Amino acid sequence: MTDETSDPRTDGGERVRESRRGAKRTDGGTAAAGHETDHHHGLPAPSSIKRWLVTTNHKDVGILYTVTALFFLVFGGVLALLMRVQLWTPGATILEPLQYNQAVSAHGLIMIFWFLSPFAFGFANYVVPLQIGAKDLAFPRLNALSYWLYLFSGILFGVSFFQGGTFAGGWTMYAPLNLPVYTPNIGASTAVLALLLFVVSVTVSSVNFLTTMHRMRAEGLTLRRMPLFTWTILLTTWMMLFAFAALLAALMILSADRLIGTQYFAATGHAGSLLWAHLFWFFGHPEVYIVFFPALGVMAECFQTFTGKRIVGRKWFIAAMVLVALQSFLVWMHHMFLTSINLEIKTLFMATTIGISLPFDLMVFALVYTMLKGRVRFTTPFLFSFGALVLFILGGITGVFLGAVVLDYEFRGTYWVVAHFHYVMVGGITALVGGLYYWYPKMTGKMYDKFLGKLHFAMYFVGFNLLYFPMFVAWETPRRDFVYPEIYTTWHQLSTVGAFLLGASFLVMFYNLWVSLSTGEDASDNPWQFSTTTEWAIPSPPPLENFPGKPSFSSGSLEFLPDGSDAGDIEPAGPGGREPAATDGGEATTDGGEAATDGSETDADDGEDDDDGKLVTDGGRVMTDGGQPMTDDEQVVADDGTAGAADANAGVADEKATDGGTVTVYDEHAADDEEHGEDHASIWPFRIGLTSFLFLVGLSGLRQGSFPEGLEGGAYLGLTVVAGVGLLWALVGMGREEFHGLEGPFGESWPFTGINNTKLGVWIFLASDVVLFGAFVGSYAFIRVAEGWQNNWHHLIPADHVVLPGLINTYLLLTSSFTVVLALVACEKRSKWGLIGSLATTLVLGIAFLINKAMEWQHLFHVHSEAFPNGWNIGTNVASSTFYLTTGLHALHVIAGLVITLYLIARAWNGAYLDDDQPVELFGLYWHFVDIVWLFLFPLFYIL
Amino acid sequence: MSHLRLYTGIFAALAAFATAQVFVEQAGGLPYWTAFWVIIALSLVKAVLVAWYFQHLKWEPRSVSATIFTGLLAAIALTAAAAYSIL
Ligand code: HEM
Ligand SMILES: [Cu+2]
Repeated sequence: MTDETSDPRTDGGERVRESRRGAKRTDGGTAAAGHETDHHHGLPAPSSIKRWLVTTNHKDVGILYTVTALFFLVFGGVLALLMRVQLWTPGATILEPLQYNQAVSAHGLIMIFWFLSPFAFGFANYVVPLQIGAKDLAFPRLNALSYWLYLFSGILFGVSFFQGGTFAGGWTMYAPLNLPVYTPNIGASTAVLALLLFVVSVTVSSVNFLTTMHRMRAEGLTLRRMPLFTWTILLTTWMMLFAFAALLAALMILSADRLIGTQYFAATGHAGSLLWAHLFWFFGHPEVYIVFFPALGVMAECFQTFTGKRIVGRKWFIAAMVLVALQSFLVWMHHMFLTSINLEIKTLFMATTIGISLPFDLMVFALVYTMLKGRVRFTTPFLFSFGALVLFILGGITGVFLGAVVLDYEFRGTYWVVAHFHYVMVGGITALVGGLYYWYPKMTGKMYDKFLGKLHFAMYFVGFNLLYFPMFVAWETPRRDFVYPEIYTTWHQLSTVGAFLLGASFLVMFYNLWVSLSTGEDASDNPWQFSTTTEWAIPSPPPLENFPGKPSFSSGSLEFLPDGSDAGDIEPAGPGGREPAATDGGEATTDGGEAATDGSETDADDGEDDDDGKLVTDGGRVMTDGGQPMTDDEQVVADDGTAGAADANAGVADEKATDGGTVTVYDEHAADDEEHGEDHASIWPFRIGLTSFLFLVGLSGLRQGSFPEGLEGGAYLGLTVVAGVGLLWALVGMGREEFHGLEGPFGESWPFTGINNTKLGVWIFLASDVVLFGAFVGSYAFIRVAEGWQNNWHHLIPADHVVLPGLINTYLLLTSSFTVVLALVACEKRSKWGLIGSLATTLVLGIAFLINKAMEWQHLFHVHSEAFPNGWNIGTNVASSTFYLTTGLHALHVIAGLVITLYLIARAWNGAYLDDDQPVELFGLYWHFVDIVWLFLFPLFYIL
Repeated sequence: MSHLRLYTGIFAALAAFATAQVFVEQAGGLPYWTAFWVIIALSLVKAVLVAWYFQHLKWEPRSVSATIFTGLLAAIALTAAAAYSIL
């Protein structure tokens, strides 16, 4: 059996390492000169704490995500062990019943939201920019912001334990259990707010990743050639963008119900709880793929790398994933088979559920065949990936049972479901743990201890099955309960033993990864022989700017071009890249041979174009990487022959004298070429995270629209006000800060060529806002249908609720949209006063809108009619709740827009925007969107 | 400059349609559900006008419109299927 292939004695091994070390030294030197002074813009060394508070670099953020996620793994894991102890015998009471409920709920929430997804996004942050050949994400500060919102949302969740106890209604937060009547603790509200903050973080990072992956791929890296891990992240973020918007709506409504007393989930009897289920599962089913796709990506990468084989049917594999991503939005009601929704729709959703398992079969087969056709190297990452596949197959099959309506009548609410989703979800975690071993050398520059890695896997896999398999056997155990039939005691005890074994296996991992940081072997650029993706062509860990020049795939293989050059300038690396592999010695020759067969085989198979691209990419990488010293001369000659490369040339010659690394040459040039350079540090994301956290701690004290009396209430109120001001200050501070991100032109941007990053980012954000408002409108429609659309509904609304204020506001808002259009026209005409005048008019119209609305609301609050003797308030009935909350959310959007308008006016006063009108245009996009929303709210809430 | 006239025309149309929506309801001649769909259709037309011209979607890559449209589809799927499930 071949072990990890990083044996230093094989060819490149030594040499690569040497040249890399050289490169690193120079890098440290020139880079220190170049970077630290005019490049880093205040990014302190990794050893200082400050570095981690201000960094915006994707690799740093990736590490922050990974470490934080692992912390939450421990947090959630401890809660799980508590539960397993409780389950040792039926009805034990180590924990009080309500404490047990809290443990169950918090465990689920923490694992799914604060561990699983962020763990995957640690890798996404670190690896995706490397794989696509980008220096960073499109919006580095927003990336840092995502992290801080994530961390602080997790801390907020932690705080909830100390406010009378956290949420105890299960991770699905079903209504009406999620209302204060059943979960009265302040901590329960805090948990909801924590999740809300987490969703904000997710939305920000979805926008960021989508913009990056669509717009900033290196030349030649078309979507067809994109590595599979990046593909899974691309699809994951698309799903996140839309699915989490629905969850955001659900959580906003829930927060409103809990904090200010709206009546969505309570007052309408069964409709309230059905509404929650719809909103939650519309998000929830895509969410299970959101957590699973990155794991699939890791599996695909590891299978390819450790079988030395490109995935079989790559094109179909990708197509299947795209299909699943789309279908995932059409199966949500299979979680509602036991509710009162009608049979037709249940049948329909049973069909879509069966449909969605088909593409999964294809993916599974692709992985299995890849393994059968290739020659497997049983490294730790491969073992975990393979284990994940096995677990996923079992989990998937048991899921199909649940997708059948009749069977689900039996299984719903039992341990069968618990076992099913642990097999699939923790199966996913298994792959991600493999990913951690796979990229650990890249992220740290050190190799882990291979024996301990395998020991971890053995303990993990045995522990896992010992823990979860008995749950299938003891399936009649009721879910979320600690009382179960006596006959199952042995099974549950096995389960508990398995849980501790699984937990212990992680201790091995933590020990291994920690100790290897200081005592591990140095990892070469590419410790895995057959890895093909770009991250393995650069040092471990990569330098701040990632690449020794501009990455390009135009020739079909990866090259690093001097900055500012085009793909055509340099001879393609060509197939010579295979050479170093051939000099690998005995074993490597075999490998080389295998790879060759491999290539022709695949060609014969389907003759796809990108086959070749992929293979050559591989070869090209090997050359660029280990092959440098050999080919340097050739390259100089080649360069000589190339017009206009004289500059780079001299550099190559010079550098060669020192360390023989072309890598550093280009680096130096890179530093020279960029007069301004990018920024890598900002403290504002951290500040926004902190103030948001405090603000929400304050808000959690709200109940029925007011803070409790006395000292405690005063403290909550005070915190809300102070932190709210602080949050505003931090937001404005970030807006005012000068920060240079990456500027184009970038390579491949399909299908978003012809629009720049920032504008695309705004549009993508607006797409998620469409779903947010769509879900609000959908909730309104749902409740109204449940109440009886026409007659009953009108009884819930006072006669004083008339059309006129709405119509006036429609005119006001339409006009304000028009004046924003005029503002942009003024910019084009370079008319400063035209610009200021238009913006000021917008401001005035917006304020008039709000005043009109305030007057209308005041009137409605104080109506005195027979039907509404105490006025028509937020909590009067479902009609008033939907009216105030939906139009209130819209009004908040208006207020946010007006704050931006004020800011724009102030800047315009100082002469801004005449040369660069983009900020005005972007504001316009937002403002018009708010206008459009109103165009629907007006008829729905005033006319119909 | 020519755009300015276009924008002004659209603004006028938007205001007119909003007024028309109110009239459709208050005139009371149409059956409720007919009026309902007329009013919703008018809102849709207004929304498209704003998006297409004021937000310049007309001049952006189609993929941007497609992205927004996807979001809209998702919202409609949720609304329609959820409402249908309790009919
Ligand atoms: C292979 C196709 C799959 C099918 C047909 C399927 C089907 C189902 C069904 C019908 C349920 C509802 C059971 C009930 O509550 O009575 C369910 C629950 C669940 N599934 Fe799957 N599933 C599949 C794959 C997955 C995957 C890949 C994941 C995640 C990685 C997953 C995660 C979950 C979770 C978390 C639940 C429990 C939700 C809850 O808390 O109530 N499933 N599955
Ligand atoms: Cu599902």
